[in-house]
Amino acid sequence: MNENGNEDLGHNRRDFLKGGSVATLMTMLGGVELFAQTNAAPGGQSTPPVAKMKVAVIGLGAWGREIVNTLVNPVAPVEPADLAAICDTYGPALRRTANTVPGATQTPDYKTILANKDIKAVIIATPTPGHKELALAALKAGKHVYCEAPLENTIEDAREIALAAKAANRQVFQCGLQKRSDPQRRFLLPFIHSGALGTSVLARAQWHKKTSWRSASPNPEHEKELNWRLNKATSLGLIGEIGSHQVDQAGWFLNALPTAVTGFGSIDFWKDGRDVPDTVQAVFEFPAGVRLLYDCTLTNSFEGEYEVLYGSYAAIMMRESKAWMFKEVDSPLLGWEVFAAKAQFNDDTGIVLVAGATKSTSADQTPEAKAAAAAKTPLWHALDNFLRNAVDLSAAAEDFITSYGADDVDGLQAALAKAEHRPAANYLEGFQAVVTAVKANEAILSGKRIELKPEWYELS
Amino acid sequence: MKIRTIIAGNIAILLLATLSVRAADQMTVYAARPGSKMRIEGTANVIHTTWQIESPFIAGMIKVGPNFPTEPGQVVAPGAKLDAQANAVIMARSLKSVNEDGSHYSDGMDEIMCEHLNAAKFNQITYKLTELTLKEAPKTKDAPYVCDAKGDLTIAGVTNPIAMVVNILPLPDNKLEITGSTALKMTDYKVPIVDKSIIGLAHIKTGDEVKLIFKWMLAQRKAPAAAAK
Repeated sequence: MNENGNEDLGHNRRDFLKGGSVATLMTMLGGVELFAQTNAAPGGQSTPPVAKMKVAVIGLGAWGREIVNTLVNPVAPVEPADLAAICDTYGPALRRTANTVPGATQTPDYKTILANKDIKAVIIATPTPGHKELALAALKAGKHVYCEAPLENTIEDAREIALAAKAANRQVFQCGLQKRSDPQRRFLLPFIHSGALGTSVLARAQWHKKTSWRSASPNPEHEKELNWRLNKATSLGLIGEIGSHQVDQAGWFLNALPTAVTGFGSIDFWKDGRDVPDTVQAVFEFPAGVRLLYDCTLTNSFEGEYEVLYGSYAAIMMRESKAWMFKEVDSPLLGWEVFAAKAQFNDDTGIVLVAGATKSTSADQTPEAKAAAAAKTPLWHALDNFLRNAVDLSAAAEDFITSYGADDVDGLQAALAKAEHRPAANYLEGFQAVVTAVKANEAILSGKRIELKPEWYELS
Repeated sequence: MKIRTIIAGNIAILLLATLSVRAADQMTVYAARPGSKMRIEGTANVIHTTWQIESPFIAGMIKVGPNFPTEPGQVVAPGAKLDAQANAVIMARSLKSVNEDGSHYSDGMDEIMCEHLNAAKFNQITYKLTELTLKEAPKTKDAPYVCDAKGDLTIAGVTNPIAMVVNILPLPDNKLEITGSTALKMTDYKVPIVDKSIIGLAHIKTGDEVKLIFKWMLAQRKAPAAAAK
């Protein structure tokens, strides 16, 4: 329970791994820990100023507050962010968040933010059913837009958002599938695609946390609004609100979209009048016989959140921003593992390896550097990339028009296409994730298998 | 006799003045177009011993008189001072560090470069042409006119005169391509060398000497349409 006696919605993964116990367990199981090169600031070195952009956060529920806290985290702030305004229709949420960012303008009306020419970017973290209205209005107002996943609850609404984003080529549109911005996962991607795991045969993912997802409010009307996730009419349930991220990641690593999904769902524990299952399972079929087994529950916390990709040579497991490799005895030697430490677990000899350790400097090992590195979650990277991309795109557009005038529309488009694009989920990936989530939810609610037609994933 | 001399002199003055007015009227404006590039190359002490930054934006224009070569094969005598006034502008923030293959190198390097160029205060690098002399006529119809250019270069708010060789290549459809390069020292513009650790990279110390290499694409600006009667 949080300080106001309300349930947190369970999106705060920082609480989950305490004391590195899971990391130790994985190492004992013979896991090779893989991580991307650290980005810790060298001790004692000042950093040059970063171009900033005024940004507003719209929607200050638990996740919106997480976004605000990430933007302004004193240990590792998102440097391009100049958080100028926060917005929520619920006064207590607004006032509560203002404690964190007292300098930001507070408003219940998003239109005042869109009318403010100084605010160039908005982050939409409202309940999913409201995303379309906000995203379309923000794009029309010329803002760069970060819209949380899932983009919307229906394929049609998600398509409208994606098409508007596609047309707005002078603005950045990013979907909140933050794993796509995670340097750890991007580090793994070429490794996996190179065939280091052998033939992909299976994938698994889960999200387990015992939490009701229910929030309380003294105001009955507001309580109904707060608990939109528990109502089938306004929510894609666990597979949409949680599973979107993990299912999208599986497809990203497998480099394919799912071809069918079979689902199961039930209300096993939280029998409080909700009609959204508190426990779901889904089997996603991918090409070449690979299946993703996904389960998500609000009834038990054991083993928390992780994803595993299994290959004929090795498996890779990801938890938060850590990853481990479990090799088969007959898999080819990759070379670098010769230098890895080894640990015994039962009859298995595990390879303990800290990839990138030779690039790490002593400055990366200071408590401050480690704290800063830990604060740079996938969400941090997603927000950082969004704002840096927005700064660069805006500057490129301004510089082009200053240099060559506004008449050369094709030239401007070509110049913007060459602007730096840091890794992020785009409008197409966001749309496709909604297609998968909507159909998976249908499968879960009906207990049936649904074939996913390729044309459903096409935008136009 | 004296009166005729005076009249002749006045006529001569009048003719010269008229010619000057006609010369001003005959200046043609070429405005900057996409396809331009400014590249700055330097040296450093780390794994990559050279560094490079690039911008695709060179703003500005050149106004040229009748003796400026705008057509291939135009006859201009070597040594002739060409009628030309030019101003070029590069936004410091548009300069990005790149790898050899043109891909982006590092945000950290870009931020340090902007800091050293004092881009927050002096966002523009500017060049003003003061004199252009034909050095070498083209040997073939497709070859450029090689010229000696003198002008004032301003970086980070500091202005120095520079001289460089530029190549002027008239192109079809009333376009020009002007290329050239020059070496200079950053400290001459009070731009300190980089000597620090860059986040995610290593300790980098850059050399003082750099080379500016540019390609500037321009197109003749169309005259405004005559007002309807």
